[in-house]
Amino acid sequence: MNLELVFEPLQYSFMVRAFLGVSLVAVIAAIIGTFVVLKGLAFLGDAIAHTAFTGIAVGLLLGISIHLSAFSFALLTALGVVFLTRISQVRNDTALAILFTGVFALGIVLLSTSPGFVGDLNSLLLGSVLAIQAGDIAVIASFALLLLLVLAVFFPQFVLVSFDPVGAEAAGFPVVVFQSLLLILTAAAIVISIQAVGVVLVVALLITPAATAGLLTKRLKAQMVISGVFGLVSSLLGLYISYFFGAPPGATVVLVATLLFAVVLVVQKLRRPGGKAC
Amino acid sequence: MVPNTDLALEMRGVTAGYQDKVVLHAVSWQVPRGTLAAVIGPNGGGKSTLLKTAVGLLKPFSFQTLSLLGQSPQEGRKRAAYLPQREEVDWGFPITVLEVVLQGRLVRKGWRGRLRREDYAKSREALEFFGIAGLEKAQIGALSGGQRQRVFLARAVVQEADLILLDEPAAGLDAQAQHELADLFVALRRAGKTIIAATHDLDCLTECFDQVLALNGQVLAAGEPGHVLTEETLVRLFARHFPKVGAGGEVIVHEP
Repeated sequence: MNLELVFEPLQYSFMVRAFLGVSLVAVIAAIIGTFVVLKGLAFLGDAIAHTAFTGIAVGLLLGISIHLSAFSFALLTALGVVFLTRISQVRNDTALAILFTGVFALGIVLLSTSPGFVGDLNSLLLGSVLAIQAGDIAVIASFALLLLLVLAVFFPQFVLVSFDPVGAEAAGFPVVVFQSLLLILTAAAIVISIQAVGVVLVVALLITPAATAGLLTKRLKAQMVISGVFGLVSSLLGLYISYFFGAPPGATVVLVATLLFAVVLVVQKLRRPGGKAC
Repeated sequence: MVPNTDLALEMRGVTAGYQDKVVLHAVSWQVPRGTLAAVIGPNGGGKSTLLKTAVGLLKPFSFQTLSLLGQSPQEGRKRAAYLPQREEVDWGFPITVLEVVLQGRLVRKGWRGRLRREDYAKSREALEFFGIAGLEKAQIGALSGGQRQRVFLARAVVQEADLILLDEPAAGLDAQAQHELADLFVALRRAGKTIIAATHDLDCLTECFDQVLALNGQVLAAGEPGHVLTEETLVRLFARHFPKVGAGGEVIVHEP
């Protein structure tokens, strides 16, 4: 590849911020997303993203921190679902779908009927990578550090409540505390990723790299590391493609992640014909 | 009533179930410590419900006495291990045999627990005891049914559980593996553990279990195998299921 082309976008400070911000959130989302994939919680991730959008809308209208209001809405969704599944003993996809689309619709109505905020609607839905400010990067980086720290300290606990929640609870282990903590981390990862790829595509940052990594390894730590690498590669390649072809960066990042998944899947099928994927 | 600390499980008048559906009707049963106890009965007869109620996964609708190792289920279960039915475990989870056993140490230590060198040593020792030391790096799903049972029993042992409850441990095991499992139960009893297993398999009950509960929503009979496993009880218990294996190993064909 021509090196000049590689460095060309980096002469713009907004592109440097975009590269920094997007790769950080992509790596973080990919790491925490490993648990989301293992527990089959993609749908919940999508629900959290959509309610976080309404949180942002409310934050904008009230003039309070959008990160905080988005996180509050995301948290309510995540913990609400934990509560619902515990009292009803079933995974209630229908109730969740009704709830989150309703809240999402409310957010759209709120934003589109408030003069001066209509422009924000588009950037929230599709992401606004190029508007990432130095302050945003600081927020993202501090959260990334915090998340990695919590994950490292309680890693065996998270594995326990993910692998055998029933056995752990039957022995008196505080399963709900760690399941909630894991969902809080997921919610936070989603909130900081919305600016990068938008509400609609954010779930891809969580799911796709982790699922791709899951095709390649049956070791959890390895899956998290590989997932992070796929997240990083997707964000870098995606941003270059976006820069040179003028496509929305959120979409190109997700597209690269999807292509990587497809390539790994196909290569694996060819090498081990008849083998069961994931 | 003061709970009896010589009992691993004490139930009096326990009524339990899900939502509006009562599955256990005023069940009373006592399991002394250090015994091998089996719960038998048809599907839907409440075997799993009984185990889940015992370890506090399910709150009973009502009871006179319900104690686990002489304490409330919420307290007593800290010295208990529960092995769910095999369909309830995600065998595709990326976790190794050693990592599963180590979880027993983590459960023992509680939520702030850190895994240390001695926890690894204890876990490896348990793998050795159960004859699966060579498999510690294997992914849990790569093991046979009998080996998986051993991993979970090893986890219960390093958790230092005094009571191990198993839901259908013999399901999906061939005859050889079932007999090996029975031998492991006997070895665990020798080590002072109490075992309560819900099971369909009547084959080895007379040989290795000390206590049997025949459960069909309510208690049909409870006590020593010779007393419980009579043709009359089995016919009543499995009224709509045939053929069945009788106490002496003969097949009972019962036309409803």
